Amino acid sequence: MVESILQTLSYAPIQRALAACILCGASCALLSVFVVLMKMPLIGVSMSHAAFAGAVLGMLLDINPFVSGFILCLLTAAVLGPLSDRADMAPENLLGILFSFLMGVAFLGMGILTQTKAGALNLMWGSLLTLSNNDLYVLALVTLVLTVFIVLFFKEIRVVLFSRRLAASSGVPERVIYYILLFMTGAVVSSNLATVGGLLIFALLVQPGAVALQLTYNLKSFFLISAATGILACFLGLVASYVFDIPSGASVVLAATVLFALAFVFSPKRRVVRPIERKIQDENDRR
Amino acid sequence: MTDHYLTLKQVSVRRHQSLLLSGIDLRVSKNEFVGVIGPNGAGKTTLLNVIAGFEKFSGALSLFGEAQTWRRPRQTRLRVGYVPQLLQIDPGFPILARQAVMTGAVGRLGLFRKPGKQEYENTLRLMDMMRVAHLADRPLGQLSGGERQKVSLARAIVQKPDLLLLDEPTANLDIAVQKEVLKLIDEISEREALTILFVTHDFNMLPERMRRAVMLKGGLKVFDGKISAALTGNELSRVFEYPLETFERNGKRFICYG
Ligand SMILES: Nc1ncnc2c1ncn2[C@@H]1O[C@H](COP(=O)(O)OP(=O)(O)O)[C@@H](O)[C@H]1O
Ligand SMILES: [Mg+2]
Repeated sequence: MVESILQTLSYAPIQRALAACILCGASCALLSVFVVLMKMPLIGVSMSHAAFAGAVLGMLLDINPFVSGFILCLLTAAVLGPLSDRADMAPENLLGILFSFLMGVAFLGMGILTQTKAGALNLMWGSLLTLSNNDLYVLALVTLVLTVFIVLFFKEIRVVLFSRRLAASSGVPERVIYYILLFMTGAVVSSNLATVGGLLIFALLVQPGAVALQLTYNLKSFFLISAATGILACFLGLVASYVFDIPSGASVVLAATVLFALAFVFSPKRRVVRPIERKIQDENDRR
Repeated sequence: MTDHYLTLKQVSVRRHQSLLLSGIDLRVSKNEFVGVIGPNGAGKTTLLNVIAGFEKFSGALSLFGEAQTWRRPRQTRLRVGYVPQLLQIDPGFPILARQAVMTGAVGRLGLFRKPGKQEYENTLRLMDMMRVAHLADRPLGQLSGGERQKVSLARAIVQKPDLLLLDEPTANLDIAVQKEVLKLIDEISEREALTILFVTHDFNMLPERMRRAVMLKGGLKVFDGKISAALTGNELSRVFEYPLETFERNGKRFICYG
């Protein structure tokens, strides 16, 4: 049994698939902590659509889809960043317009492309099994940079997640952190076009963070639980896609949803502490 | 050496064709405790936001003797503490009360430096002073409004500001807790030798050390002077556009409305 597992693990394609799971799951899930705690799912959607549209355009124009996707992400971030800084305007409507526009661009490109390149469809749902070496290297680099960013600026990140305004008021360079974050969002979504694709990535940008939100009050554990959830969802999804012969993107998203449902049901945070218990707890705390 | 900690000259804020603040002149000296009083929508929050550097404005503003725009260097921001009207947070948000207090020290520490013994001691000392030390390990989102407000005050003081901006710190609290928070504010203002701007629309709930009142109405400064001169039926009725009377009892003045 152990031997057969070890033998399976020694196959290069399996190793690559595992690496893809870890990198895709970790990068999306670490980002999802920000998406969930800063309540910016719409920014996540817009960015992933931007990456998608950019990649399609890249294929049309014969540019590396990762590069063109990333560039369009950065352009989108340049619009989104200042927008979210303005207090006098709810950005939701504009975000809605922006992401439907990007979707339109993407599908227009797809329409022109499908006659020439079948590979374009892959940008929509990706594949954890057919990553090129380059895809893996880029993904590894992006995941590494994101991890280093989180570790180095952990205490600043905590303040910015807590409140951007309070961060600004106490001399934390919150705008720098926020813009790095938008930049990293672009890098993560465009490098994951190859793994889960532009349509489904959104699930991985929300679900792992939502799982962690059910389970912990500790920010460090929050990042770890989220990352573990992302990796597990990718892994389970991949196995399911292999066993049942279904598209891996879809099974990854479904696996993530199942994990969320489990976390929701078993959440210790949702267990209500009754007032009397609370009081006893308080008195114990005081001692 | 300058005596004026804070100077505003003809400061205006315009948004969508409307003037939220128009031509505000204000000078505040070191260790003053100034109340900013006015009805809802008078521009009190906007004024604090201008001083805190959250809002673009026209006119001139100087802090600690140096001219400032809304973008300012970290060194200046460190010296201005800010307590928002409401510390909004989701019940499940992953931060404990003591960590929330500690966030006030992060800017002062600077990048790549971890909080040390001094920061931890300061955090606990201030939580103790604010009577929330027993809540230190509770998730912030689970605290009551009053407890959260005290945490918020401790957070602002951990930053070691010279100027403290308080935006209706006692709104949304019930009366006993309001009194308690006011007392705590009086206490810190004395102990930490702070210059304070205290925004409120509740003239019956003022800290004792507040000696001066600035009254705003429709974005204009309509009164600036001693608090005792501000708290008269005539003055208040004019600003709040509602008939108000005052009466004295045990040497304290109360304002009542019909
Ligand atoms: N985002 C906004 N856009 C336009 N007007 C605003 C906005 N926020 C506040 N105002 C207006 O600015 C005025 C002053 O607001 P504010 O400073 O919050 O008043 P206060 O704190 O004294 O209640 C109010 O009349 C309010 O309607
Ligand atoms: Mg206000």
